Amino acid sequence: MSKLVLEGVGKRYGEGVNTVYALQDVSMRVEAGEFVAVVGPSGSGKSTLLAIAGALLQQSSGNVLINGVDISSFSPAKLAQVRLHQIGFILQSSNLVPYLKTIDQLLLVAELSGTRNRETAVRAEKLLTELGLAHRRDHYPEHLSGGERQRVAIARALMNDPDVILADEPTASLDTTRGKEVVEMLVREAKSRGKAAVMVTHDERMLHLCDRVLRMTDGKLQEVNP
Amino acid sequence: MFLALRELKHSKMRYVLIGGIMMLIAWLVFLLSGLANGLATDNGSSLKNMKADAIVFQSEVKLYLHRSLLPMSKLDEVKGVQGVTNAAPLGMLTVTTKDSDGTESIDATMLAIQPESFLAPKVIEGQALAANSGQEAVVDKTFKRHGVKLGDELKIQSSDQTVKVIGFTTGQTYNHLPVIFTNIPFWQKIRFAAPGSDSGIQNPISAIAVQSQQDGITDMLNQKLSGVETVTRDVALQNLPGYKEEMGTITMMLAFLFVIAAFVLAVFFYVLTLQKSNQFGVLKALGASTSYLAKNLLGQIFLLSLVSIVVGAGLTYLVAAVMPGEVPFALDNGVVVVYSVILLIVSMLGAMISLRRIAKIDALQAIGKVE
Repeated sequence: MSKLVLEGVGKRYGEGVNTVYALQDVSMRVEAGEFVAVVGPSGSGKSTLLAIAGALLQQSSGNVLINGVDISSFSPAKLAQVRLHQIGFILQSSNLVPYLKTIDQLLLVAELSGTRNRETAVRAEKLLTELGLAHRRDHYPEHLSGGERQRVAIARALMNDPDVILADEPTASLDTTRGKEVVEMLVREAKSRGKAAVMVTHDERMLHLCDRVLRMTDGKLQEVNP
Repeated sequence: MFLALRELKHSKMRYVLIGGIMMLIAWLVFLLSGLANGLATDNGSSLKNMKADAIVFQSEVKLYLHRSLLPMSKLDEVKGVQGVTNAAPLGMLTVTTKDSDGTESIDATMLAIQPESFLAPKVIEGQALAANSGQEAVVDKTFKRHGVKLGDELKIQSSDQTVKVIGFTTGQTYNHLPVIFTNIPFWQKIRFAAPGSDSGIQNPISAIAVQSQQDGITDMLNQKLSGVETVTRDVALQNLPGYKEEMGTITMMLAFLFVIAAFVLAVFFYVLTLQKSNQFGVLKALGASTSYLAKNLLGQIFLLSLVSIVVGAGLTYLVAAVMPGEVPFALDNGVVVVYSVILLIVSMLGAMISLRRIAKIDALQAIGKVE
């Protein structure tokens, strides 16, 4: 079963002649352990796609299934629960909470889902070690490098053991070497843990690391042949 | 509180500053309340501490004790009214006294009582008034500050009388003046020295203090007796000259302080919330509910207010301890607790506008370039 399925998803803003189509009839499937990149110029609807797949925004038409469950008609509170338990977000840089130490960034996820206990604490420590952040455990984000911050964001996204990982321009503020490291780590973690991962990027240098590349143009999605 | 505590810890300076402002406001609130209580005590502690439930005044004297005159015969009438368990006569006169070496004038309120009645003050030093004590007096310990000792003679000015201080009492002031307790015949000699000043009343007194367990005893007395106006002790206190004005001024200041406290915290946390709206967006994208974020904000404000108020209260007690005796300042622990709770509630109310803001923040903000 596909972890993430979009079926004929459309998103429009405005009414009548002013209607703008951000997404038109977008369909995609991402399997467990698959790493998909979505590329396209800015304003093409990539972020809208990510927001809809990530239960942040509701589509105007079509269906979104996460782990086989159609979330199209969920209430905002229920969508928050979906985000909390089934989706791991990796956002652009500076999306760590500034007053939390690295370890607390991870524990926050457990705290939000009401499962902060010894088990999740062990899990957080393990994730930090696996992602090479153990020595940064008690640092605030302001004292981390850009690459380290994104690694913390990856660790945070894995903390709730989600079905789907969504990354929004994870390499935006990184140089090529650091960006490559981060994406490699993301690919490795997503694959080894059997997550369905979608990365929105306009960084064409990273595409060779992905299983599939989809191109977004004016709200339409096309498969790019490698 | 996971976020609340960690943020307080991380941004110490920011929260210490705002906590400092809160602390100063709380401090001022407690100082003012102490002053209000002190002034009230100073103005009428004799009345406040009187073991009476109601006071019978002459009618149509606006409840002014110094204008009120009743014949002693009313005492038996009062005692005869059903529900009255006890009653005692009271005389009052404002006097200026001079100590024995004649150097210092001390203004005082002379209260005349029957020494065996329940109005007799508790003596902390020396002797109590005897039934036929004549020119003897028990005075408030404030007199000690003026160098008066046991056995001293006090000259009552504009009369040829002197009294001998045989005992000291405490907490007895009236019209902001320390009280001299004497017996009634002696008081009558001074008060009615001028011919006709007794308005022809036989054996005159100022008022009658009444003890009663019964509700509505004042109405009962007003109904049964002619030419009197009876009020509860609290009403009599409110009607002391200047009492309402003093309390009104301070109450107004306190009310403003509560409003200021609410605004200061409201504005601070609102600005902070605006500043952090992107952060709240990220938290919501991660799956934090509005109620979770709201709880953290309220927790922060509660904690900050609580610590500030406790420190403010501590400083107030410290100031009270070093305050010189002449300052009318008396902290009432009950009032401090009540005002602390009001301050806490008011600061939580101030947080409400920030809560609305948090509720409106959209998780979408966290995603880069969505329209």
